Formats: sequence, structure tokens, C-alpha cells
Amino acid sequence: MKAERDTGRMSTLAAPRTLLAIHGFLSHVGRATLMAWAVLRVLPHPRRYMRSFLHQAYWMGVRSLPLVLIMAILGGAVTSQTTGNQFTGSVPVWVVGSVTVASMITELGPILTGVVLVGRIGASIAAELASMKVTEQIDALYAMGRDPVAYLVVPRVLGGLAVLPPLVALADFAGIMSGYLVGLVAVDGLTTAEFIYGARFYFRPWALYFSVIKAAFFGLAITFLACYIGLEGGRGGAEGVGRTTTAAVVATTLVLMILDMMLAPLLKMW
Amino acid sequence: MIEFRGVYKRLGGEPVLRGIDLTVPEGQTLALLGPSGAGKSVLLKHAIGLLRPDAGDVLVDGVSVVNASPSELKRVRRRVGYVFQNAALFDSLTVAENLWLAQDDDTGRRSLRECREEAAELLRRVNLDPSVLDMYPAQLSGGMRKRVGVARAIASQPRYLLYDEPTTGLDPVNAETIDSLILELDQQLGVTSIVVTHDLESAFKVGERIALLYNGRIHVAATPDELLASTDPVVQRFIRRGRINSPVSV
Repeated sequence: MKAERDTGRMSTLAAPRTLLAIHGFLSHVGRATLMAWAVLRVLPHPRRYMRSFLHQAYWMGVRSLPLVLIMAILGGAVTSQTTGNQFTGSVPVWVVGSVTVASMITELGPILTGVVLVGRIGASIAAELASMKVTEQIDALYAMGRDPVAYLVVPRVLGGLAVLPPLVALADFAGIMSGYLVGLVAVDGLTTAEFIYGARFYFRPWALYFSVIKAAFFGLAITFLACYIGLEGGRGGAEGVGRTTTAAVVATTLVLMILDMMLAPLLKMW
Repeated sequence: MIEFRGVYKRLGGEPVLRGIDLTVPEGQTLALLGPSGAGKSVLLKHAIGLLRPDAGDVLVDGVSVVNASPSELKRVRRRVGYVFQNAALFDSLTVAENLWLAQDDDTGRRSLRECREEAAELLRRVNLDPSVLDMYPAQLSGGMRKRVGVARAIASQPRYLLYDEPTTGLDPVNAETIDSLILELDQQLGVTSIVVTHDLESAFKVGERIALLYNGRIHVAATPDELLASTDPVVQRFIRRGRINSPVSV
């Protein structure tokens, strides 16, 4: 009897909790949509964000480049070795060239660069904006009649959108080169001619466009989400800033993977 | 003129303001006094729409801050200078850049030299040496940060100045300097000011009128002399307590 009563009470409590969770999620979607609309309204006024955008693009792009290249070089090296180890003896060795190019361009280049930007840029944006909120700097912008979206969000979102495609293109190139060089040393029987044959056998220009389009989506998603979470967070002082940063990293990583999955069918279009 | 009409606000489910009616006439300096946590800063934030009341209205020059469109609200905010409790300077920007942000009209017509000269002049007004222009807020002392905060607030040549606990966290000498600065600016600029404080000495020094916020309502609003002569037990208790805490009696 008691167990039945408890189960009944739990189910009656669970229903409002579920409703609250749905309400919370829809509120976030609504507020994020409003922020996206505010970003769009600022875009026709480049004077308000251009200087800050250039600074952000430099900071995101140039400063992230070494880490992006290291990740891509390691990713390419692992791919060519693993492919060589698994396929030697069963399929022609030039497949190493095909697999390395295909996986770097369509998957590893964009996703590794995206992950670097989540850790380096997304976390930093969320922490910075949340701490600005805690220390009333966001309120100070409002008080001066300034729009925090124009001043803080637009330059960061445009920065992400502008730098991720070239970063991914460079990561693709670095990954392929490292895959080639490591493959020559580590994969039995692989020659330059075979690697190039394999690479050309697979390569279609659309794959490169796909890589860059994916990068633009990632850049937009990482920076926009980090800005939104940063501006929404920060409650509870230093601890709140920490929680906000963690939330931003978790959410942007998750969204990155969801976007990756949703964009995959695009590759088959051409 | 700034008018609070029946402002009611709950925060975290608790009523903080329970129907505030208060008018600050043109040219007057009002000290808003009250115990810590009474809702003084909350009330001040309503004046420029940083918080929206659950009920009631706030009027600045007859314009409702609560019902204003975004562009109207922006215009109201450009007429008001707000000095935040911990200055709220942008820590990634230098002092000069903090001041330019408050001055900048987005037209980009002024040269860098003109901007620097204007920023230096603002610093002189708050008795700071222009040599701090290229320093970051973290390199400044608490008193200097507060003064830069005041300089930023007056950068847009406001008609109203709102100070949120301007002397909190300062030693008596720096607190005295800030009080003198408030008086100086009131005379020089002819602005209407609201000074939120729990420092009784500061309130009596700068306030032409003092309002006591107690239990979410304006308990009394009177001149300093009227307040000292008041027999109201709450006022008496507050003044007595202030005398005990203050190094200099009021």
C-alpha cells in the first residue's frame, strides 16, 4: 500500500517537474531566438562592431592556429597509420591516401578544429561574459545606452564565422600532409605515387566545400551558444562563472556533434 | 525630475520594494539611506530600466522607463550617468578606452588625440592624474577605480547622476574625497543626483534631502535637519546606530 502511495506521489511530482523542464527549455529557445534577432538587426551597422570584430577574429584565428595545426597533424598521422595497419594485405595500399584525404576533409578537419575552438574560444567567451555580468559590466553597458549584443555578441559570432572556415581548410591540408608523410614511413609498401593516386581517386571538389560549409556552421554555433550561455549565466559569483563555463563547453560540444550528424547528408547531395 | 510611483518588486519570491513613491525634483541631491539589503540598489536600477517593477512606474523627465520603447529607453539612459557600486569598469579595456566607450557616439568623427584630450579632462574633473589613461582597472586602487567610474558616468554630460554606494569599501579619507567630489560635480554640472548609501555621514554630507528606505517602503523623506529633529523611533534608531558606527558624529 505504502509503496503504491509513494509511486503515486512520485508520478504526480514528476509531471510538474517535466513540465518545468519543458518550460525552461522553451524559454531558452525563445531567449536565444530573440538574441539571434538582435544580432541580425545589428549586422547592417558595421561601424558599431567592425573594430571589435577584427580584434576577435585575430584573437580567435591567429592565436588558435598552432593548436588547430597540432591537432590536425596528429589526426592525419593516426588516420594513415591505422588505415595502413588495418587494410594492409586485404585491399590495395593506395586506399591509405583515399581514407586519409576523405576523413580529414569531411570529418576530422572540421570536428577537431571545432573541438579546439570549443575549448579555447567557447569556454573563454562564456567565462568572460558571465564574469562581466557578475561584476555589473553588462549593466554598465546598458546604463551607457550601449547594446551588449552589438558590442559583445556580434563581434564574437562574426569572428567565429569568419575564422573557422580558413582554420579548417588549413587543418585539412596539415592533416593530409602529415598523413602522407607518416604513411610513407609507417605503412609497408606505400609510395608517394600510390598515396597521390588514392587521394585523387577519392577527391571531389564538393567535399572541400562541404568541409568549409560545416566549419562555418560550427563557428556560428560555438560562438553564438557560448555568448548566450555566458550572458544568461554567472549567477552565484565565481562559482556561477565556473558552472557557466562548464555548461558552455558541454552544450557547445553536444551541439557540435548534433550539427555534424545533421550536416552529414549534405555530402551526398553532389 | 525622477519619479517612482508605487514601485513594487519581488526578488527570489520575496518582496523587496512594497510600493515606493518618491520624487526627486530637478537640481536636487537626494541621499537614499537604508540598512544593507533594504533594496536601495534595486530601486536605483529601476530608474534606468536595468530592472522592471512588478507593479508601478518610474518616470524620468515625464518619460515612463517601464513602458519606453528601446530607442526611448536608450535616450533616457544617455541623460543619466550611473556610478556602480564596484565601478563596473571594463577590465579588458584601459581607463582611456573605458571613457571613450561612454563618450563614443559611433560616428568616429573625432581623432584619437581629441578623444585622449577629452578623457584626460574627465579625469582632471574627478581629481585624477591623466597619467592613468593607459592603465587597466586592475592596476588602480579602489578609490581611483571609483573616481574613474564617476568620470565615465559624467562622460556623456548627463542631467542625472545616480551613485550606487559610492563610498562602500573605501577608507575614511577616500570616502571623504568621493563625498566632496559628488558635491563638486553637483555644483559644477548642476545635475540632479540620487546617492544610495548606508553610510550615514556620507548621506548627511551630500544629501539636500534624505529618504530612508525601510521595510520596502520610503519610511521618511526629509531634509537632514528635519531628520535629525525627528522623534520617529525607526529614524532615531538608524541615526543612533550610525553615530556609533561613524568615526565622526553627524
